[in-house]
Amino acid sequence: MGCGCSDCEEMMQPYLDRVLSDEQMREAKEHLEACPPCEKRYRFEDTLRRYVRVAVEEPISAELQQKLVGLRSTG
Amino acid sequence: MSESAPTAAETRRLAEEARDRVRFEEQALELSDQVYRVARRLANSREEAEDLVQDTYARAFRSWQQFQPGTNLRAWLLRILTNLNIDRGRRVQRTPEQTPLEEGDYYLYNRLESTMPDENPDEERVLERLSQNAVVEALAEVPHDFRDVLVLVDIGEFSYAEAAQILDIPVGTVMSRLHRGRRILKQQLAERTVTN
Repeated sequence: MGCGCSDCEEMMQPYLDRVLSDEQMREAKEHLEACPPCEKRYRFEDTLRRYVRVAVEEPISAELQQKLVGLRSTG
Repeated sequence: MSESAPTAAETRRLAEEARDRVRFEEQALELSDQVYRVARRLANSREEAEDLVQDTYARAFRSWQQFQPGTNLRAWLLRILTNLNIDRGRRVQRTPEQTPLEEGDYYLYNRLESTMPDENPDEERVLERLSQNAVVEALAEVPHDFRDVLVLVDIGEFSYAEAAQILDIPVGTVMSRLHRGRRILKQQLAERTVTN
């Protein structure tokens, strides 16, 4: 599996969430540029998060919207 | 008409209040699709989610004066909603106090890739191994404490600070639950990989 570097696996979420220090961020970037397998796994994670958001999307029904409008105090 | 007609100032105040209230209700209603999106994944069924959203709006419209204009209305509504969800005791844990399996962050990718015939496939192709249904089911399997945070941050796109405020937990707890929640979700997804 890629570089075999478990640090990269541990850093993935904080990296994508941008909560690393500048120094850690720089180190991670350097590593990713040199390690395509890790970079790919990072990209996958990023795409996965977006995919999950879209996949679970279920629009609100018109009936519920109507009911909510009916709860208003004013007309 | 009574003799003691309201003063002009009083009339103006009432008119202003009525206008503020209308504006508040309109703004809240504009957010209903976003509120429902989050509610649907916090609740266990569509019916539960719809009830929760209705009760949330009923309460919000009653206590509209407690909302501070200029602050995040969507977060305020979700705070009401998560409190209602907890109060109702609908959060029936299937296996309380038991933490589900959790693998490292690369586990899902490695698992998916291993089911594919081609060497080094594109990550978009790897993602196709996950059906939409698998995602819905996998998310529903994440225990509530983790799912609440996961849904607020990754689906509702709230910041850590907002999620912390909505759930009334420290930001550090939001971060650790999110981190683990995502791993639990990926573990659940790995079990639902399309293998053919």
